[in-house]
Amino acid sequence: MSTTWLPCGTYHQNYVHDHAWWQTKFIKAKMILLLIILFVIIPLVADSYGLSILNLVGYTILGAIGVQLLIGFCGQITLGHAAFIAVGAYTSTLLILEFPWPKILMDWGLAYPISILIAAIVSGAWSVLFGLPCARVKGFYLILTTMAAQFITVDFIITGYVSQIGGRGQAFSLPPGTIKIGPWVIDSDLKVYFVMLVLVIVCVIGVLNLIRSRVGRAWIAIRDNDISAEVMGINVIKYKLLAFYVAGFIGGVAGAFWISNLAAISPEHFPWFWSLWLVGVILIGGVGSIHGTIFGSVFMVVVMEMLQLAVIPLADIYPKLLVDFLFIKEAVFGLAICVFMIFEPNGLAYRWWQMKNYFNLWPFSY
Amino acid sequence: MAASDDLKENDVLLELEDVHMFFGKVCALAGVNLKIRKGEIHSVIGPNGAGKTVMMNIINGLYTPQKGNIYYKQRNINKHRPFQRAELGIARTFQKVEVFGGMTVLDNIRLGRHIHLKSGIISGSIYVGKTAQEEIEHRTFIEEEIIDLLEIEHIRHKPVGMLPYGLQKRVELGRALALDPELLILDEPLAGLNLEEVEDMARFVIDINEEERWKVTCILVEHDMGVVMDLSDHVFVLNFGNMIIDGTPGEVQNHPEVIKAYLGEEDLYATRR
Repeated sequence: MSTTWLPCGTYHQNYVHDHAWWQTKFIKAKMILLLIILFVIIPLVADSYGLSILNLVGYTILGAIGVQLLIGFCGQITLGHAAFIAVGAYTSTLLILEFPWPKILMDWGLAYPISILIAAIVSGAWSVLFGLPCARVKGFYLILTTMAAQFITVDFIITGYVSQIGGRGQAFSLPPGTIKIGPWVIDSDLKVYFVMLVLVIVCVIGVLNLIRSRVGRAWIAIRDNDISAEVMGINVIKYKLLAFYVAGFIGGVAGAFWISNLAAISPEHFPWFWSLWLVGVILIGGVGSIHGTIFGSVFMVVVMEMLQLAVIPLADIYPKLLVDFLFIKEAVFGLAICVFMIFEPNGLAYRWWQMKNYFNLWPFSY
Repeated sequence: MAASDDLKENDVLLELEDVHMFFGKVCALAGVNLKIRKGEIHSVIGPNGAGKTVMMNIINGLYTPQKGNIYYKQRNINKHRPFQRAELGIARTFQKVEVFGGMTVLDNIRLGRHIHLKSGIISGSIYVGKTAQEEIEHRTFIEEEIIDLLEIEHIRHKPVGMLPYGLQKRVELGRALALDPELLILDEPLAGLNLEEVEDMARFVIDINEEERWKVTCILVEHDMGVVMDLSDHVFVLNFGNMIIDGTPGEVQNHPEVIKAYLGEEDLYATRR
């Protein structure tokens, strides 16, 4: 579904052109416009509330890319991705709070960026550890082993042991001013927004590049047909574990990013429901498509916010709505997945593709 | 076997030595001996359930035989896993097409280049530079050698899952060729194709086998006797796990047991479409 429709009379003259992402000047202009909107216009017009929603969207995207990689591209169903996000968040927090950083790194404001990288690496390694069963089991059984990752990591190790470090009780508070990148202290939604944009763009570009090179093709081959993938010279177990590593890595980036938006982190930020939520996001966005991940994240976050906005005025009439809001949210989540599975199993990404084709081919239908 | 007598050792590319394979108490292969010479088309025929595909899976590494040895270039490869055998140069196509349905034709063939590509996670995610150059080089190879040979230019950007069966078979052959193999296992490449596609496919097999560029040794498992007898240098007849004969097409056609077990009393060419 990734074919680009070229305008009449435009042909590829060489392979470089054919391999390019943005194949025509028009597409290039559109993408540059998008970047201008993201980096200039949104920060100018959006208020703090809008930015905080966008940050949540970015966090969801970062989390869901890893899930998309595992489920959509490698075919390894995972229901424990929040565990790896939690590992990333906790590694980064502990590094910032407890690690004796050399003064020069603190002065240059490099502690947080370095901790993001280390958190990502640790989280990737943790993910490989729980990905090991994929060498033996597939499908439903793998779901259970990844759920084990969730419960062992968050409910057992983090709640029971990691949270006790430093004797603070359950939550780690992040004092204002601890999260610093270079000269900037990340203390407002706008600054978090810029960090989010950079991380999301880097991760999306990295994953898109992987998908169109050797490693990504091996993943897709394993998803489509693991026996013939092995016959074609792919070390299936190695590449499955590599997928777990990259997914965990991006999960770690997501977790380490999210602490910049929080005043304190606790295990409750990473419940099992969050893992499920991320799977829902990719189901709605479209399995096996990176821009589907983005659409799904935007859709889910925006729908939930609208729901909140709708419930607040209604609460005057029927106060129980507010009390039961969590249940309503979960019910709507389930309903959204059902509706998408029935009416658009290919997700929002497919709808987007159809719309694009409609306009590209207009006024003809083929 | 008359044909095997005048065999020089380094002519042999692949050798099966006394291979036994059991599934529970069912004996699929009972002591099969097979020598495949460099550069030939060696056909394997036999009735349904004779163990032809089991034999291919053993050569390929998908099954491990309970007894016996497999030598590839005088090297024992019993312990090699399928992907290691692919790295040694053994490629195959499957009886039921096993293409990667969600990928485009081009990506399927690119995947066949997997063992020749080098980029890993880091260079792959950066893409610019090393990986991009590598992709372009291999794209040139794919376009000029494989897509051109198999005449699939018009479908190169189509997802394989949406193509008709005959073209899927062709893509599968292309994917196996992209490995640049020395030994190619063709498991019923003609099954389910119409006459024109059969002719095309037979032509491709001859091209791959004889062209200076490829010179690929082929193992052909096939039911279409006309094609088998016309293409093969040697024919190996298997009947319920036992070898009947391994000889030239002429010898096989006149062998009384082969006629009894497989070809039947009728004319040999009755199965030809």
